[in-house]
Amino acid sequence: MLDLRVPSGWFFTVLGMILVGMGIFAPNERAPLTDINVNLYSGGVMLVFGVFLLLMAWRAGRSHS
Amino acid sequence: MKLAAIDYFILLLYFAFVLGIGWRLRKQISTSGDFLLSSHAVPVWITSLAFIAANLGAQELIGMSASGAKYGIMTAHFYWIGAIPAILFMGLFMMPFYYGSKARSVPEYLKMRFDEKTRTFNACTFAVMTIFSSGISMFVLGDLFHLVLGWDFSTSVLCSAIIVLIYTFLGGLTSAIYNEVLQFLLIVTGFAPLAVLSVMKLGGWSGLVDRLRSMTLPTGQSGDVMTHAWKYMGSASENPMGVGLFAMVAGLGFVLSFGYWCTNFLVVQRAMAAPSMSAARRTPLIGALPKMFLPFIVILPGIAALALAKMNVGYDIPTNDSGYNYNQVLTSLMAKFYPAGLLGVGLTGLMASFMSGMAGNVTAFNTVWTYDIYQSHIKRGAPDSHYLQVGRITTVAGVLLSIAAAYYARQYGNIMDLLQLVFGVVNAPLFATFVLGMFWKRATANGAFIGLITGTGAAVATLCLTVAEGKGGWFGHYYEFSSAMAQNFWIAIIAWTTCFVVTFLVSLASSPRPDREMEGLVYGLTKVPHDATAKWYQRPATVAVVVAVLVILLNIWFA
Repeated sequence: MLDLRVPSGWFFTVLGMILVGMGIFAPNERAPLTDINVNLYSGGVMLVFGVFLLLMAWRAGRSHS
Repeated sequence: MKLAAIDYFILLLYFAFVLGIGWRLRKQISTSGDFLLSSHAVPVWITSLAFIAANLGAQELIGMSASGAKYGIMTAHFYWIGAIPAILFMGLFMMPFYYGSKARSVPEYLKMRFDEKTRTFNACTFAVMTIFSSGISMFVLGDLFHLVLGWDFSTSVLCSAIIVLIYTFLGGLTSAIYNEVLQFLLIVTGFAPLAVLSVMKLGGWSGLVDRLRSMTLPTGQSGDVMTHAWKYMGSASENPMGVGLFAMVAGLGFVLSFGYWCTNFLVVQRAMAAPSMSAARRTPLIGALPKMFLPFIVILPGIAALALAKMNVGYDIPTNDSGYNYNQVLTSLMAKFYPAGLLGVGLTGLMASFMSGMAGNVTAFNTVWTYDIYQSHIKRGAPDSHYLQVGRITTVAGVLLSIAAAYYARQYGNIMDLLQLVFGVVNAPLFATFVLGMFWKRATANGAFIGLITGTGAAVATLCLTVAEGKGGWFGHYYEFSSAMAQNFWIAIIAWTTCFVVTFLVSLASSPRPDREMEGLVYGLTKVPHDATAKWYQRPATVAVVVAVLVILLNIWFA
């Protein structure tokens, strides 16, 4: 059966990369009420989470075979 | 609110993943059991998150932030005194009977324990309820997107419905459950930053408390009520909810929450998909862990919005002709705190919550229609492939009916208010039927049926004879409640008590069922398998204790 950690891992990795990219290349993209680089930080968290899911899935897949 | 190209791209990316998961799972389906029940093969961490996500619809997300702005941290009672104790009870004491009886649905358990008429009554009310809840949720979302983003109502309703249809049609319950987990994770990552940013702007939690304390609410009470869950619970007039301690604990904490979490097939179905009895029991218990922290994501931004509105930073709670429009609190905060990029994630999270709620309703409707109505009343004894076919067709029909209900809701807003009130109390008497059915072997089929009918009747009668906030009382004004919520809680208490007493009395008057027919269905006649091989942290009791301690701490912390 499909290991759900793989698609969700990829989803958050891609999402995280998009937001981190926005944070780096468009750092002046700010919402009216914040002065921090929201995209960069939240994207970073998503990226770490996505990679973590992929690692878990990879480990589980290795111990299976 | 204006969206950038990147926001649309994130939304499309999400659609692609959701459909991809459905596509990958399509080959798993060869029997009706695979399609409608996932054949007990879904890992426990997935069923646990799906258990919570199926309940976390768009209405919940929008409604909870709205209630946060209206009632403050008291709204968390829906979680800390409502959902969590009920979830613990369900996992520890009721799951052994659901899973052990091998019933395929909640109505089917009623058939095994009592008889066909109780099952059919429950199956029919449940089927109608799921269609309308999914339709109302669809309406709420389409309406909000129209108002905030200017999207056409029909386009957003039809597009999202078609995507849900495709992935549930392809992969059945498994696909719905897998996507619910992705949706849950997305909702959390999409909305947690909103809570963090809005509270940071206020100078942290203590800043929020200080600001609220110095203000006066629209109800004339001190803003201090907004940050205390229990302090102002003494009498109904002290808090903005207009609910007293007894109504809160007995109505919401006991009847409504237990009625919902313990008997609603929508959530029970997720636990039943688990691979073993132990996993099925742990599903709600593990799900309770993230559930108890959800108030910080769904309610806290609402509370913060109220304080922000008094700060002169350019934020105001949206209004319409009749005053504050609390349903827009969430999206108005997103517009102020999220830049292009994260705004897309937040919006996608909103879309995801809607989809998980709808898919949950459609998959539950599916199973109940196919097994409890079609197989038992329309065509018995057909080969399994026939029921698989029926299940698939029902999925399409369920989505179409939900769409129809959404348009109906748009047309007749007032009738929908009433329907929601009625749905709120349908589960209340049912919980009395289950308590007696599962824990008292003397309860009989006729007792259960007559009890359920009178209990439901009592709920409707109370609704028709009492008034709250100028609504209700179609057949007379016998009592006026301090708020619609108080009315709702009291109706539940009355319905539950009526059903309990009537079931009890009629059962005593009718002849009992022999014990051997009820093995595996009733407490005392069921052996709960004790898996000695499970490690200590895998035992349901251990998880339950951790959950209980944490939820007590939360209640004390925010008292």
